[in-house]
Amino acid sequence: MIWVYRLGFLALLVVLWILAAQQFGRNVVPTPLATFEAAQRLIAEGRLLSALGASLTVYLSGYALAIVCAIPVGVVMGGFRILGKTLEIYVFALAATPRVAFIPLIIVIMGLGVDAKVFIIFLGALMPILINTYAGVLAVDDELVEMARSVGSSRQRIFISIVLPSAVPFVVAGMRLGATIGLINTVVAELYTAVSGLGGLLAIYGNTFRMAEYFVVVITLAMVGVVVTEVLRHFETRLARWRGAN
Amino acid sequence: MRAMPKDLAGGEQGQQSRFPPAIRFDRVSKSFASAGGRAAVLALQDISFTVEPATFVALLGPSGCGKTTILRLADGLIRGDTGKVEVFGAPPKPGPNIGFVFQTFRLIPWASVQDNVEFALKGPLFSQAERRERANRHLELVGLAEFRHAYPGELSGGMKQRVALARALATEPDILLMDEPFASIDAQTRELMRIELMRIWTDRRPVVLFVTHSVDEAIILADRILLLSPRPGRTVKTIEVELERPRWAYDARAEPRYVELRSFLSERMRELVLSDPSSEFYGRDLAPPADR
Repeated sequence: MIWVYRLGFLALLVVLWILAAQQFGRNVVPTPLATFEAAQRLIAEGRLLSALGASLTVYLSGYALAIVCAIPVGVVMGGFRILGKTLEIYVFALAATPRVAFIPLIIVIMGLGVDAKVFIIFLGALMPILINTYAGVLAVDDELVEMARSVGSSRQRIFISIVLPSAVPFVVAGMRLGATIGLINTVVAELYTAVSGLGGLLAIYGNTFRMAEYFVVVITLAMVGVVVTEVLRHFETRLARWRGAN
Repeated sequence: MRAMPKDLAGGEQGQQSRFPPAIRFDRVSKSFASAGGRAAVLALQDISFTVEPATFVALLGPSGCGKTTILRLADGLIRGDTGKVEVFGAPPKPGPNIGFVFQTFRLIPWASVQDNVEFALKGPLFSQAERRERANRHLELVGLAEFRHAYPGELSGGMKQRVALARALATEPDILLMDEPFASIDAQTRELMRIELMRIWTDRRPVVLFVTHSVDEAIILADRILLLSPRPGRTVKTIEVELERPRWAYDARAEPRYVELRSFLSERMRELVLSDPSSEFYGRDLAPPADR
């Protein structure tokens, strides 16, 4: 049922798009049809897919690296209260600093290649996952912990069987945030470092006023975002099947 | 039945009994840091009592008298500030020999009913097969065998508490600590749960410390009632309930002894609340009219 409404809203957006195209002129806002034709051209030439491939490679590398680093650090910070309390203000400080501020430094150290791009994405996706994991570990239900103590569980077992599972929803929510920020940083990295991928196409078509192609790239990025967050949502509901009944 | 422990004790405090009592509190006090963190609040003051094996004891008192703290001390989850707590002659340690049933069930929401019961059986004591067998047997005992694959979120309050009861019983503990276990269950289910508990207790005879603020619940279930006062928690009175068991086999509420105990305890409970400065009813004149 929700899909009917969603498609209805999509139709509304297309109507607005057509109106905008009429209002601003086709050179500024291309019509949906012109955009569709540009998409066909770009796909036929193979440019869109190769750019998408390049972007997804750096995006997924940086994102995966962020997950692999952020979850253990968050867990350790939550597990050892003093360590967590010591580090948390620095983590929050870093999270609040716009990561774009680090790009010149990253370019000086890592150059303009793939490494630098992956690192910029990593830096963006890291913080939300880390902070959410940390919060998830701290948010454990003390009553459940006491129950586990009362049946004679060791601290280690309580951590593994109570604390970590209860942090999972927080971690997945952090992963969703991280995925979005990582995608934004992918484009930012491709614009600031060696021009490549979807971000590169965006720069090229934007600078040469080829607006139909430009729109194709924007829509492709939006679709990547939808796919990634939907995959994570699916993952989330599967993990939380026990919630269904509540 | 009641005479036996006294015989074992060999007279009043005279000589050491051959067997240590199941639970012994000896002038135990406990205070907690208050919410503001400044002053310590005295939760229990000089609590002393002993419980012989196979005895059902109700801890009765208005809220704020440290009943839950007594259970946590008896399980070894916390230590007293002063005094001594012993379970079968040794300081208590949480584990398979002490079962704990909490007011809020405390089931693991992401684990199935079966896994929740087996949670109490993890450890070197039981093999995988034995865990399974014990969990199944105890789920059958509480009548939930066909719900073993359900998640706690799919169960009613009464069913959740039966799972929690199965979990506490699965290790076949000598001591069962129950913290207002039926308080968050509807009245009809509560009545049946009491019978269920009496039935299981009659069969196994663990020592039960049962916290409640319901006078009826205390009388119908217990061999002995410890009446506690609030802020700080102190034992006001110990009462033996001499009603014949099994009490669900006849209408115990119609017995003269029941009626007498009930009115006595209700009266004392009301006094305790009215004389508690932190109670909202403090100092109010709620005594029944004298000419009634």
